[in-house]
Amino acid sequence: MSLSVLIFLPLVYALIVWMMPNDRAVRYSSLGFSIFHLGYTLAFLGGFDSATASLQFVERVMWVKGAGIEYFLGMDGISLWLIVLSNFLVPLIVLGSWTSIEKKVGGFHVSLFLLQSTMLGTFLAMDAILFYTFFEASLIPMYFMVGIWGGENRIYASMKFFIYTMFGSLFMLLSIIALMFMTEDQLGAMSSNLLQFYKLQIPFVAGEFLSTQTLLFFGFAIAFAIKVPLFPFHTWLPDAHVQAPTPGSVILAGVMLKMGTYGFMRISLPLFPEATQYWGWVFLVLAVIGIIYGALVAMVQPDMKKLVAYSSVSHMGFVVMGLFAMNAEGLTGGLYQMLNHGVSTGALFLLVGMIYERTHSRKIEDYGGLAPAAPIFTIFFIIVTMSSIAVPMTNGFVGEFLIMLGTFLAYKPFVIFAVLGVVLAATYMLWMVKRVFFGPAGKIVTEWKDKNLDINPREIAVLTPLTILIFWMGIFPNHFLDFSKTSIDHLVKNKSQYFLTIEDAGKAPKGTYSQIGN
Amino acid sequence: MKTSFDLIDLFYISPIIVLFLVSLVPILSKVLNGNKEPSSFFSVFIPVCGGLAAAVLSVGASLYIMGDPNIKSSPLAFSGALIMDGIALWTSFLVSIILCVIILISKENPYTKGKQFSEYIFLLVNSAVGMMIVAWSNDLIVTFIGIEVMSLCLYILIALSNETRHSKEASIKYFILGSFASAIFLYGIALMYGTIGTTYIHEIVQGAREIISINRVFLIGTGMVALGFAFKVSLFPFFNWTPDVYQGSGTPLTTFMATGVKVVSFVAFLRFMTTDILGGVHSEAFITTLQWMAVLTIIVGNVAAILQDDLKRILAYSSVAHSGYLLIGVIVAGADGGQSIGASGVVFYLFAYAIMTLGAFAVVSVLEKDTDTPIKVDDLKGMSSRHPLLALAMCVFMLSLAGIPPTLGFFGKFYLFSAAIAEGFFWLAVWGVVGSVISVYYYLRPLVVMYMSDEAGAGIVDRTPATRFAIVIMALLVILIGLASEPFYMQMQASVLSLY
Repeated sequence: MSLSVLIFLPLVYALIVWMMPNDRAVRYSSLGFSIFHLGYTLAFLGGFDSATASLQFVERVMWVKGAGIEYFLGMDGISLWLIVLSNFLVPLIVLGSWTSIEKKVGGFHVSLFLLQSTMLGTFLAMDAILFYTFFEASLIPMYFMVGIWGGENRIYASMKFFIYTMFGSLFMLLSIIALMFMTEDQLGAMSSNLLQFYKLQIPFVAGEFLSTQTLLFFGFAIAFAIKVPLFPFHTWLPDAHVQAPTPGSVILAGVMLKMGTYGFMRISLPLFPEATQYWGWVFLVLAVIGIIYGALVAMVQPDMKKLVAYSSVSHMGFVVMGLFAMNAEGLTGGLYQMLNHGVSTGALFLLVGMIYERTHSRKIEDYGGLAPAAPIFTIFFIIVTMSSIAVPMTNGFVGEFLIMLGTFLAYKPFVIFAVLGVVLAATYMLWMVKRVFFGPAGKIVTEWKDKNLDINPREIAVLTPLTILIFWMGIFPNHFLDFSKTSIDHLVKNKSQYFLTIEDAGKAPKGTYSQIGN
Repeated sequence: MKTSFDLIDLFYISPIIVLFLVSLVPILSKVLNGNKEPSSFFSVFIPVCGGLAAAVLSVGASLYIMGDPNIKSSPLAFSGALIMDGIALWTSFLVSIILCVIILISKENPYTKGKQFSEYIFLLVNSAVGMMIVAWSNDLIVTFIGIEVMSLCLYILIALSNETRHSKEASIKYFILGSFASAIFLYGIALMYGTIGTTYIHEIVQGAREIISINRVFLIGTGMVALGFAFKVSLFPFFNWTPDVYQGSGTPLTTFMATGVKVVSFVAFLRFMTTDILGGVHSEAFITTLQWMAVLTIIVGNVAAILQDDLKRILAYSSVAHSGYLLIGVIVAGADGGQSIGASGVVFYLFAYAIMTLGAFAVVSVLEKDTDTPIKVDDLKGMSSRHPLLALAMCVFMLSLAGIPPTLGFFGKFYLFSAAIAEGFFWLAVWGVVGSVISVYYYLRPLVVMYMSDEAGAGIVDRTPATRFAIVIMALLVILIGLASEPFYMQMQASVLSLY
């Protein structure tokens, strides 16, 4: 088992898929590869030691010696589930896009595998420049995915997505460079290794914006806030989601947004403890505004996909709120909600995509009375809706409850507003369900009276794993949280002086570990 | 003063000698052959071999210097007129490679192929000789001579194009403005000589800091020399000629100007700025002016590029913007007093910039089928399906120019901005970053039309195997050197030590 193989195997798949003779072969081989890759990922889950907060499966090679940039990969409780989530969604996407992607099928799957590779790299990189490299490189396949297979306004949307995200991440690059010079001053050798970064003493002056730690903190925060996206940096998201093809939306909502929250968790919080403590309220306020604003805007959307997109803004607000509560409950909830959002919003985008593929309409007003015409579809849709609005027994409940608990312990007033967001979520989702599925038969249902509107077995196969996960994660959260508990406790306990160690060589399987003197 | 020269000096300048001799081959064979154009063997194969030989000799010279324990500091040749340091040899290596690529492109480009090709090669190769002199010169007067040799050849080359209207206009424009800048440059040298008593860089270094603090005439002289360089590398506010000349010239020559001329001018500029003239008491104003020039160059270049439709004009403005990034490195190198980080950033960036710009212009050259239709961005439409490999290469060049990791362009910017931050020019780095964000817009436009539109654009009619070969090589270099930038950067870091 090697993390490098995990990251770069999708590139091999991409190459093979590129050479496939026809679309059919592309689809079947992609499905096979992605399922195999999920299996390979689960092997890591088996080998993962949840009793330690140290980095596991570490691989280290010097990349750019003069600047101390390393090719440094490692996995811990924070990144583990995001890796599994990414690799879990890919086969579903391949299967879900079986008929909806019609042109340049080979190119689409190549982009998908490139995207998978860069996403995994982002979550596993333990070197800031390597992280930045994957973080930026992931824009390219996503850009093509929206730009080539997207809707009518795809070029505008993809351009906006690219430039907006790049704007943020370049400030992150400057901050990384500044930190690298700090390692040279304080630790003797230049390094962009995150473990070295954690050792830095970054001067902080309370109340002064132009102090080192505050500036660096905001340099990183702007990159992550745009990626999440946090209000008011969210404007690229609805455009990108609406124009993206269904699989693009799923991967964007399911995984790419998590790069932002993961960045907060991996870099911002541990690296800038004082600034996080002092300026945390800014992000809590923005998160709460995002929760309520996203919900209110979602409520008035006439377009189902746009509604789901804005609900994303609201849900990601919860995640950020949990992270900035900076206690075990909040962080656990934040991490869990990242996974929940990936599962349930991913499922919602798939569902909307399925019905759109048949009727070519996403307008809520065109529907009505869909339940009798498509009963199986309705059942799935309602289950996913319940998860999205955090009904107990579903995964959403666990995440949001933990986040509220954590925030309540740390910053009581914010919870009052956040609860409002939960109520609003129920309103916009259930109202949409009512208008689409119940009531008198609408325009589309009348038109399709004699034809079958319901989903086919392939689509049921796509939705079933997601539904199972919704309940599994809702009823047995500990099956998942136990893996992350040690890492999160370690982060909370040492938040003022965070550190990470590398699991000792004896435990790691042979050949996956190489030590470089620090 | 010693006026004789050693035999070893001839070995050092052997790349120049080889290039000059090679430049005579096509034109002589034309004369001996009854004024008929010689075959490709004489007009392409031998010059390319000459270019490669010059590259090998440059490497050989640097290996010889490194291998000889008796040579402590970088050797001077011809009584101190030329310096054989790491930068000089890197640059002459790079110029030789650029020359080879340009010859290959020229043979297949409608602007330059056909009649008078042997004269064209003669001038082109001699322009490269001028470039090498600029890169090697340790004396401002020799720099001037090198610039003139390089530019005079280029003025004629531009006018020699198969296209008759725009090329003449471009040639005259370049000639008049270029001569004007050269005159100011020469006047600046005169003022400097009048005050410090020497034109040798290694002697200026010793007295510059003191004299610039007390003598305004010297300050004005340095300002004028800097202005001359600013024109050559198209910095704000002396960049206006760039888009017109780049657009009017034949694409191979545009490429040559955008890469070769810019590289050597920046190297000479770097040598000039590291003479400690920024260390004096009155130099703050100088540094401030240069900083504003860098910021405005970045903004103007990038914003103007957004408004263009003609691919060559876009690349011209992009080259202006890149001059702005490079100026950041030059300022850092001049102001950091003894640290090599700025200078090595500049040299690495020049290397990266030259490779990706060569590639991007070569793609434009492949698309040109006659001299009357300029290539617009929309002409790239549908390239991904008809010429997937070319489209992929263009994609690599554009992403690299935009500085997306892990390409060569990213590491160029990384080293450059690192240098700025290390020396406390934080806000210059911020402007560099803002410029990079703006630039993404126009670098992505070719990608949009290549991959995201289904219509077919202008087709590629002629067979252009040599240019395509060059494009593939450049694209591979952009990726591979990007992934393994370390050894190259270390070499460049070692090479710039001689500046201080």
